[in-house]
Amino acid sequence: MRRARTNFGWPLLALLLLVACGPAYRGEPLYGPLNVSDPQVAHGEQVFDAHCHQCHPGGDAGLGFGINDKPLPGWLIKFQVRHGLGAMPSFSQEQIDDEELDALVAYLFALRRHDSAD
Amino acid sequence: MKQFGGAGFGVPRPMDDTATQPFCTPASAFRRLVPLSVAIVLTFALTACFPAVPSRGGGQTSFEPPRAVEPGDVALPDGYQIEAVATGLTFPTGVAFDDRGQVYVIEAGYSYGEVWTVPRLLSVAADGATTVIAEGENPPWNGVDFADGAFFVAEGGEIGGGRIVRIDPQGEVTVLLDGLPGLGDHHTNGPAIGPDGMIYFGQGTATNSAVVGTDNADFGWLFRHPEFHEVPCRDVTLSGTNFESSNPLTEDPDDTVVTGAYSPFGTPSQAGQVISGEVPCTGAIMRIPLDGGEPELVAWGFRNPFGLAFDEAGELYITENSYDVRGSRPVFGTGDVLWRVEPGTWYGWPDFHAARPLTDSDQFQAPGESPPGFLLAEHPNQPPEPVALLGVHSSSNGLDFSDNAEFGFEGHAFIAEFGDMAPGAGKVVAPVGFKVTRVDPDTGTVNDFAVNRDPGGPASATGLAGLERPVAVRFGPDGTSLYVVDFGVMTTGEQGPNPVPGTGVLWRISREGSR
Repeated sequence: MRRARTNFGWPLLALLLLVACGPAYRGEPLYGPLNVSDPQVAHGEQVFDAHCHQCHPGGDAGLGFGINDKPLPGWLIKFQVRHGLGAMPSFSQEQIDDEELDALVAYLFALRRHDSAD
Repeated sequence: MKQFGGAGFGVPRPMDDTATQPFCTPASAFRRLVPLSVAIVLTFALTACFPAVPSRGGGQTSFEPPRAVEPGDVALPDGYQIEAVATGLTFPTGVAFDDRGQVYVIEAGYSYGEVWTVPRLLSVAADGATTVIAEGENPPWNGVDFADGAFFVAEGGEIGGGRIVRIDPQGEVTVLLDGLPGLGDHHTNGPAIGPDGMIYFGQGTATNSAVVGTDNADFGWLFRHPEFHEVPCRDVTLSGTNFESSNPLTEDPDDTVVTGAYSPFGTPSQAGQVISGEVPCTGAIMRIPLDGGEPELVAWGFRNPFGLAFDEAGELYITENSYDVRGSRPVFGTGDVLWRVEPGTWYGWPDFHAARPLTDSDQFQAPGESPPGFLLAEHPNQPPEPVALLGVHSSSNGLDFSDNAEFGFEGHAFIAEFGDMAPGAGKVVAPVGFKVTRVDPDTGTVNDFAVNRDPGGPASATGLAGLERPVAVRFGPDGTSLYVVDFGVMTTGEQGPNPVPGTGVLWRISREGSR
């Protein structure tokens, strides 16, 4: 019984984190400008705006779900970009190459951390 | 889903690291793998359940007048301030300035939801009081510009067809061009006076994706103009794809019709059929001389080119309202587009979105619907790449460019996002738009510029008194102030849009300390 509680505790915690870890909005009017001095983050911003922004405006929810407030690791983000999921399309190497995908993840992590005004 | 819960996916890198520790037995590693895998599955489940969640558009709320207006409820970047210049407007859609810097706004006289009023050109005094300069009879008035001592207005033409009219300062209206195909879903838009002294304007398409269907009866126009359909600007050859739908034009609920692209409701198309192009046409940018004349095609293959503006270098940019998930040929997941217009070019509608063919990926097929497929047997050219992609269903409309160092962001485009019309235009999981965004045309990066302090939709949905539905922006004559035309409250639901007269606002944004 004790082990069963432990096994269900992590998924439950993950679920709570996913649905209750704060707003996904990160826009400049409320949180100040995002620091994009890292060239990889700046590159990732362009990749994001070209491919992701239309469904996740600024990483917030829109047509799709918010992604700024989801604690997904980088490798899982990359997997979802490459393979799609549900209503989300997949993006091939021709659309987002590996270097761009690395930059995209770097940008998403920077955006995720940008949850208070500088 | 099973592919995401399989063994290959349950061996993330962190688990490999811990497995090297001496106290981590195979059994304990397995116990750790199980909950982590479940967590991953839950994560994916939450992001994969789009069909199961209800739509949460910004207009899906209720509203009781009067509209409260509180500039402090609008958030801006540090160093900027906002004030309400005029309130109580009914369906305002544009702002312009005369030679002396006097402020004017136009009211459309019509709104989606089939609400009709009177189109008007109003002078706005410093205290916000308005004076009627001119009235029209062919709504909606969708935009206004000022040049050569007169106003130029794009009349949408919901009843009489689109027109471009000139209004002198005394309010006399002269028709410069009429007979534009604006009887359908989208109207005659703009105008913008170019550096060449020509009047540039947009003409939206009759339909969502080139096939007349029952959604056009919902808009109202199919009953008024059952023969109306798309008009290509150049000859096009059809693939012959046809679509069956019910027939709202008869009393029989079981009556069905078959309709092809670029054809009247109930008229099928044939493979290889050539539809002759003509000008004026639908889904295009055209231009005429300042004193009127025959329209000349600038570019085509747009869906609803609503906002037009020239940058400091004289390049024409437009915003395009992209496809909806409605009608006989719904198209999913297409963000609105900021285009730089290259004369003579076809931009992709009805078979592309932002240079990507609608057959190219799994992106454009709506859940539970058929894939859109091609309507044209051949395409005039490969569409250009967009300048920027904006939110799906954001209804990105009027735009203008900053050219003033005091205001800042020189060369950047500012775009009014009217906000989603969900669920009618398509489902969203959260409100989209209801703000002013800023785009760097050199990089395509998009940033919010003016949003409500609760960014979760229009003020009416969040209990605040900030922005409702920004529809146009324009910098004042000296470039130090950005005027934002806020159409006012429009709720939406299964019964369609419900616009509220008298709730429009003209806002002004400037640097702190500049006034």
